[in-house]
Amino acid sequence: MRFELSEEQELFRETTRRFLQSETPLSEIREKWQSAEGFDRRWWARAAEIGWTSLMVPEDSGGGCLSGLPACDAAIIAEEIGRAVGPGPFLPVSLTAFAIGVYGSPAQKAALLPRLLSGDSVATWAFAEAGDVWDAEALTTAIETDGDSVVVNGRKCYVEAVGSADWLLVTAKGDAGLTQVVVPGNASGVEITPGRSIDMVRRFGTVDLVDVRLPTDAVVGDIGGAAEAIDRMLQLAMILQCAQINGAAGELFEQTIEYAKTRYAFGRPIGAYQAIKHRIADLLQRLEFARAISDAAALAFDEQQPDAHELATIAKAYVPDVGLDIVDDCVQINGGIGVTWEHNAHVFSRRVALDRALYGAPEKHKDCLVDGLGLVSS
Amino acid sequence: MESVDDFTRRARAWVIANLPAAGDDSLPERELQALLFDGGFAGIAMPGRYGGAGLTLRHQQAFFDVAAVGHRVPRSFCVSIAMLGATLLDTASEVLKSRHLPRILRGDEQWIQLLSEPSGGSDMAAALTRLDRDGDDWVLNGTKMWSTSATEADWGMCLARTDFTVPKHAGLSMVCVPLKNTKGVTIQPIRQANGVEADFCQEFFDDVHLPSDHIVGDVNEGWKVAKTLLTHERLAATGAAHGYGLADRFDGLGSAPSADPAMLVKAAQRRRSTAGLRHQIADAYIERKVAKFAGERIDTGIRCGALAPGWGSVDKLHLGMNVPRESKVALAVHGCDGVIWDGQALVGGNAGEDWVVSRGVALGGGTNEMQRNLISEGLLGLPREPSLDTRIPFSEVLRSRRGQARDA
Repeated sequence: MRFELSEEQELFRETTRRFLQSETPLSEIREKWQSAEGFDRRWWARAAEIGWTSLMVPEDSGGGCLSGLPACDAAIIAEEIGRAVGPGPFLPVSLTAFAIGVYGSPAQKAALLPRLLSGDSVATWAFAEAGDVWDAEALTTAIETDGDSVVVNGRKCYVEAVGSADWLLVTAKGDAGLTQVVVPGNASGVEITPGRSIDMVRRFGTVDLVDVRLPTDAVVGDIGGAAEAIDRMLQLAMILQCAQINGAAGELFEQTIEYAKTRYAFGRPIGAYQAIKHRIADLLQRLEFARAISDAAALAFDEQQPDAHELATIAKAYVPDVGLDIVDDCVQINGGIGVTWEHNAHVFSRRVALDRALYGAPEKHKDCLVDGLGLVSS
Repeated sequence: MESVDDFTRRARAWVIANLPAAGDDSLPERELQALLFDGGFAGIAMPGRYGGAGLTLRHQQAFFDVAAVGHRVPRSFCVSIAMLGATLLDTASEVLKSRHLPRILRGDEQWIQLLSEPSGGSDMAAALTRLDRDGDDWVLNGTKMWSTSATEADWGMCLARTDFTVPKHAGLSMVCVPLKNTKGVTIQPIRQANGVEADFCQEFFDDVHLPSDHIVGDVNEGWKVAKTLLTHERLAATGAAHGYGLADRFDGLGSAPSADPAMLVKAAQRRRSTAGLRHQIADAYIERKVAKFAGERIDTGIRCGALAPGWGSVDKLHLGMNVPRESKVALAVHGCDGVIWDGQALVGGNAGEDWVVSRGVALGGGTNEMQRNLISEGLLGLPREPSLDTRIPFSEVLRSRRGQARDA
């Protein structure tokens, strides 16, 4: 999180933190583990009331952010959600609201945004495909034009909150190129297989689309013209995930430092031993660097800097493994209790492991970076 | 007091009229510093009676960050002004301050610190260099090491032991030593593992006579002065200090040229196979990119007061870990062509020679281990490890050290 937060942003962060602490403490998260949706719809509407859903939507479309830098503001929420390992479809709703708010037609905005922003409806992005495919170019879901309709066929995987979603933004490929289309969850030919994830409260699922016929005005933007929207949505997804990982890893790290100060072994707090304190120093360095690249990527996104895509890629290639190493070392420092169900370490570790994989693991992004440097894979 | 905005406007006008453009190296650094001094812009936050401008560090920062943009500023005086000058200002007698500060600010005197010794780099308070009374004067004997730019310096601030009968921190004094044409002072550049003579040196002091007014602060209070000096070093490293340029020294400091991402890609393109190397190249590229933003973020945090100056250690620890790491990547990517070549000439600058010296950054300017102590104890409040030698007379520490060596 940037140091130059305005008073308004600080207040917003405080409000978000208190909201999460009081409404969804970790005891509540553990309870939600049993539930199908993982979050409460009335609670989501209250989250929407304090502004969670509207940040990525331009003001003239009914949204609004605090600082004029929507992704930087949204990253504040994402980091706090990470800290609290909070529930809710913040990521998929932010992405779909952004897509409709920026690239949607006036009719789409009027039909979809009011209920999405009020928290009365939930939407998600059906992008990835089986085999961990997160590359737009490699997608196989097909879209064809047929008179006044478009027809979609394919299978979408790893779709967050799909069991709660009223509509999906589906990314498909046609003769004209990449196209995104709004698909109601109850449209004919749509079959949703709900699923779980390692995370305590975030749910996923697979979507099969068989001859799903929709009017052409369900297409967001032009047919074949979705490449830019997809690129920016992927950037945003990576930025929000990195902020969330920093929040989750940072919170467990802080708790672990306190533990190292109070847990005694051989007559001294374990944090007095260099075997522990040096490890902690290394983790602080990496966490600080992870925060720096996440901030830089968010700012570059908002200002649409030429290197925005690259910085988001670097962030997603760097931050998840920092987060993973932090939670992993924290378990070790906490000792045996750290691998029990009762201890909260695993709750944080689950969140980090999920976000590491989602929207491409670091390995994929490193490949992209090396390609970009001009080293074609041999 | 003049507002920062007014000052910046006035300074900008002066800079445009007087300072050479960035990259114009025709004027020697000393003359450039004198130019700044005559214009009233040297030591902007130093009191007027010592030749400064009597303003604040915010004015100083505004000068370099805003007013001087696009122009060349004298960076080689950062150590003299921001570290040694600032320490004199905080701790030295009126005599020393009025004698040296104006000369330092004018660029007439270049100063360095003389702290580390061959017998102990990190454990600075265990200094063996001794300062003994000789009538009204003092006599300095011993050796200091790792002092940057010692061959060019006019003066050094030297930590020496004045009392061996008290615990180690309590028997130290700080003394000013003239380094040029001084009887008993020998300065030798250190040759690095790659065969190249380094910018840092070892100094030998043999019966160097110093008048008593050369002591900085009080006799046996040298550790306090040393701590002040280290604080100013940390501030200078983030650009939040009296001078400028130390922060820049960190940019790419000690980084292996062969590990530059562009060089890595070129080397990889010449290989038949890049199997196993692609992600290593990505990691090297990512670390440098991330470090740039992290450095900026930490500097911003320190300047706006959100972070304590000690956060500079976080940056330094990364550098100390990353240079050896990326040098190993370079060794892998350059492969045989990084360590073998045709002809009899000794070729430097290849991946092999870069790697051989890559641990320098992990050791110089505070080792990685010292940075980890500073971070965990200073920034995170983890308890200190108990020291075995802080409460007993230093002479006994030495005696038991010799005893252990005999027993071994």
